[in-house]
Amino acid sequence: MGSGPFALFRWQKLFSDYRVFAEGLGVTLVVAVLALLLALLIGVALGMLSSSGVKPLQAIARVYVEFFQNTPLVIQVFFVYNALPTVGIMLDVFSIGVLVIGLYHGAYVAEVVRAGIQSIPKGQTEASRSQGFTYIQTMRYVILPQTIQIILPPLTNQAVNLIKNTSAMAVVAGGDLMYRADSWASNGFLSYGPAYIVTGVLYFLLCFPLASFARKYEEKLKSRDLVQTTAELAVVEEVVEC
Amino acid sequence: MNCKKLLALICAFALALSLAGCSSVVNSASIAKSKTLKVGVKEDVPGFGLRNQSTGAYEGLEIDLAKLIAKEIIGDENAVSFQPVTAKTRGPLLDNGDIDMVIATFTITEERKLTYNFTTPYYTDAVGLLVKKEAGYTGLADLNGKTIGVAQSATSKDAIQAAGDAIGITLSFAEFGSYPEIKAALDSGRVDVFSVDRSILSGYLDDTSVILPDKFSPQDYGIATKLQNTALAGEMEALITKWLGDGTIAALVSKYNL
Repeated sequence: MGSGPFALFRWQKLFSDYRVFAEGLGVTLVVAVLALLLALLIGVALGMLSSSGVKPLQAIARVYVEFFQNTPLVIQVFFVYNALPTVGIMLDVFSIGVLVIGLYHGAYVAEVVRAGIQSIPKGQTEASRSQGFTYIQTMRYVILPQTIQIILPPLTNQAVNLIKNTSAMAVVAGGDLMYRADSWASNGFLSYGPAYIVTGVLYFLLCFPLASFARKYEEKLKSRDLVQTTAELAVVEEVVEC
Repeated sequence: MNCKKLLALICAFALALSLAGCSSVVNSASIAKSKTLKVGVKEDVPGFGLRNQSTGAYEGLEIDLAKLIAKEIIGDENAVSFQPVTAKTRGPLLDNGDIDMVIATFTITEERKLTYNFTTPYYTDAVGLLVKKEAGYTGLADLNGKTIGVAQSATSKDAIQAAGDAIGITLSFAEFGSYPEIKAALDSGRVDVFSVDRSILSGYLDDTSVILPDKFSPQDYGIATKLQNTALAGEMEALITKWLGDGTIAALVSKYNL
């Protein structure tokens, strides 16, 4: 086993170069957090448009969601990286990561939010409107607070997907964890195996706690208020399954 | 699943992987028996390994080498199955046994010798710099603070970095998975320079770009085989040494104007 693809010296080299991976992990984390904020912003706005009942607004939200859900993230990244500079728009790779991944997951979050709003009985909206609340106020004070606990599990799953999808930055030398791992592996000793295993474990450590939280929270919700919550969850899950 | 169990699972997985990779040994006898020599070659490097767009056939010095090897060990120069590889994919393809050998502008380095067997070099190239004409660069000294686009798993980064350090300029690097991606990044202005071996650069030269006269750290190309296939490596070494001595390789070099 002196110099096989998983030989001991490759692991030693990897751990002595741990800074490469740590820096990549840092970039991945910051991009993920900022992209998630952007995705939430877009998602809540579009989710409200979809449930507004106003046809042109619903159409805007629909087109956005379908566009981003039905084109590959990598194409969007390449487009912003290589095509936009030809018309004078030059974003650095960090901004591209936040922007493109945020826009992409915004579409998925929008669907989660829309489903969440639809899971709240119509009587709630009718009651608050009859009390003189505007549509925005109804959403802000009555509907959205009630949806939060119901959409938290699917939102957390979106966050997990978002973290994994930051690896799309690697194709444009994004400086993220995947890029650094690839770069490290393909220089010098060509130690691909250990690099990908360690990187996989790092992504796993980021994602697994979130995914577990989502699962446990959902179970708790179901056991607490069996009848209504289960019905609401079913509505949300039906829309979000993809 | 609790933490201890998870840790145990991960350890078991890592152990299984470290014991894996001991698959069957390939040598010239087993290749002769299978009647096909599987060779990883470049498909976008003029003169070395280029796929003819109209006929779909591969052409170049490395292709001819592969055919000579097939003639030698199978007795039929057409008993070769070519698999296009990139700098990034050639190592893994060799490791997982998809190909018997790599003849694809694979530069020999001391570090890489720990991972693969290499023959004596059959050709020596140098790392070069491709830039946009309009940028007006004349050499490495003009590139202070610029970004160099390089291919992952190529030796160009180390070579240019060393040359830059020597004349006291700072350079940054962006690594890409394939050459077309670097060319796209050069065209869109993402990188200022496309750097790889000069033979490979010549395939990407167009009206808007120029290859600078600079040449960095000689790149020795060798035939690579999987580390455990030492017998095959020895046979390849004998063939290359023979062909270097009897002028076969020199004839190929002049055939392709290299």
